[in-house]
Amino acid sequence: MYYLGIDIGSLSCDAVLIDENETVLASSVIPTGARNVEAIQKVKTHVLDMAGIQESELKAVISTGYGRNRVDKRLKAVTEITCHARGIKASLEGTGLLIDIGGQDSKAIKLDTDGKVKDFAMNDKCAAGTGRFLEAMARALQVPIEEMSELDHGATKNLTLSSMCTVFAESEVVSLIADGVETNEIVNGLNRAIASRTISLVKRVAPELSNESVAMSGGVAKNSGVIRALNQLMGKEIKVPEQPDTIGALGAALIALEKSK
Amino acid sequence: MMYQYFNDLAAGLQAKIDENPEKTNARKKYVREVAKLGSRLYSENQSIAWCGICVPFDLLNVMGVTSCFVEFVGALMATNEIADHSIVLAEQAGYASDTCAYHRSVTGAFLENILPVPDFVIGTSSPCTAGLTVMENMARVMKKDLFVLNVPQIPTDQNVRYLADQIRDLVSFISDHTGQALDKERLKEAVQKTNQTRSLLLEIYDYAAMVPSPVNSKLLRDFGIVLPLFFGTDGVIEVCKAYRDELKGTIDSKKSGIEDEKIRLMWIQNRIQFKTDIDNMLEEEFHANIVIDELNTINWGPIDPEDPYEGFARRIISLPIGTDIEHRMKHMKDLAEKYKIVGAINPCHWGCRQGTGSRGMIGKGMKEIGIPVLNLEVDCVDSRNFAPNQVRTRIEAFMEMLENQ
Repeated sequence: MYYLGIDIGSLSCDAVLIDENETVLASSVIPTGARNVEAIQKVKTHVLDMAGIQESELKAVISTGYGRNRVDKRLKAVTEITCHARGIKASLEGTGLLIDIGGQDSKAIKLDTDGKVKDFAMNDKCAAGTGRFLEAMARALQVPIEEMSELDHGATKNLTLSSMCTVFAESEVVSLIADGVETNEIVNGLNRAIASRTISLVKRVAPELSNESVAMSGGVAKNSGVIRALNQLMGKEIKVPEQPDTIGALGAALIALEKSK
Repeated sequence: MMYQYFNDLAAGLQAKIDENPEKTNARKKYVREVAKLGSRLYSENQSIAWCGICVPFDLLNVMGVTSCFVEFVGALMATNEIADHSIVLAEQAGYASDTCAYHRSVTGAFLENILPVPDFVIGTSSPCTAGLTVMENMARVMKKDLFVLNVPQIPTDQNVRYLADQIRDLVSFISDHTGQALDKERLKEAVQKTNQTRSLLLEIYDYAAMVPSPVNSKLLRDFGIVLPLFFGTDGVIEVCKAYRDELKGTIDSKKSGIEDEKIRLMWIQNRIQFKTDIDNMLEEEFHANIVIDELNTINWGPIDPEDPYEGFARRIISLPIGTDIEHRMKHMKDLAEKYKIVGAINPCHWGCRQGTGSRGMIGKGMKEIGIPVLNLEVDCVDSRNFAPNQVRTRIEAFMEMLENQ
């Protein structure tokens, strides 16, 4: 029998399909778009087709993410905090602190030795410093979001940008472009703004980081520029799993397996 | 119109209570007292005072002054979903949208002239100076005299005497404005009633601490902060007896406040005043019960009826959100132990010094005794600043974490 985890975020809809041996058979990431029910069906069909199995062969589905309650025939809806914790335990054993930056929120999750959530903190009232923030900045810079990861190379000025508000930061970026500031300096400044905001969250759950193994999941973890900024400001290496954007869905699939036993 | 509303509400509740006094629940009696207060506030021929939270209301009740703290008005407006309009008015008048919405709503209300005009205003520097500035502004706009109680944070003997002297001055201030001298015999009787209320509250809170608790998440919400409005009256004794008997009945019949209580929680400071599904979600989805609110507490001793001023002062200084962080943390830790909670929820009310301002210290302090705290970034009065899905995710994750520990 097979177990499916679906993570319906504000930006992407991810699915991971596993068997009873916890082997990943298929995974998929698609944009959520305006209609998340359609995205759920699409991503589900996609992983089932990739693995060549029928929906009737699914023993359990666990949903997570902001659209978790929109998934039909689920065994349970579980929050992304719990699912990311479970997923990172399977991907990077020994992680003590997980940073997850998604489309509209960011989280610092402290894990115990069993990979269970010991404490967590989430972003406050606004979504600055999340995936949406990066999308808006890429638009302002007129560069594809995928290219943002490498655009900070060679930056030396350590610009300080406003990380308080996405709208203000976007306007600041436009001003910097108009002033002729190089793109790499601006991107580096943006990465440092995200990192600085993230570290505030991290410090809330783990004031002392020296003995912690720190990892990062979520779509923003694919941006190596942000990882570099985090490494630099935290003075610590942030580990990134192979597929950081499907860690939540993987955790959901593993919970589906555990809950079915 | 408001007089009629409160009067009808109080009369309707009284009729229902008279119809079946044995089966009347305590909540009805409590709401009746609130309605009676509302009715008096909007009556003519009443001496009225708008006040800060920790004014000695038993003293004012004895002196024939109908009084209420302004934050309660903000809370009632939010409960009845009419706060947003007043908040917008306050903002249009220049109040920053990131200041406390208890104060923005009441400011909008008095700027719009929907609050009864008081005879005088009594401000307190505790629990927050923002509240005091609202009182100052109210007195200025309504052209009324203002008396300010400067409340120290620490209950030293010297501080108690300092505040007690101010309360004596307050008596003179009230007498000057009402033309009525304080009747010392009536004050003595009122203080005896306050002491009786205190004993009843201790019984109520002891019952609430039992495992499983006879209370549910809603039963005693904001109880400890609202009830002092009625101190010194027969009404509050009747209300407390009703709650005490109701909880005892639940325990005697081997029932509990919620079915299959699994997770016991503390709520820090005040509740969210507009309608949310938080209580139901906690109880129905997680068998979690808010068994104690930070402000449902009696940490002041009986008051001497012969010389009540120092007793009043000690009671005022003991308000957990008015004291310094060491006293506040000790209080929370004591509650955590007594009520056997496994987690706490702190609604970090937007713009609030005690809520948002102290969340780091509260989180750290509770962590010392192994109690995790969920910080909710919410506005307890301005529903426009409430994101239900964001809040749900945080609460669900917190419950999952507690379930797994």
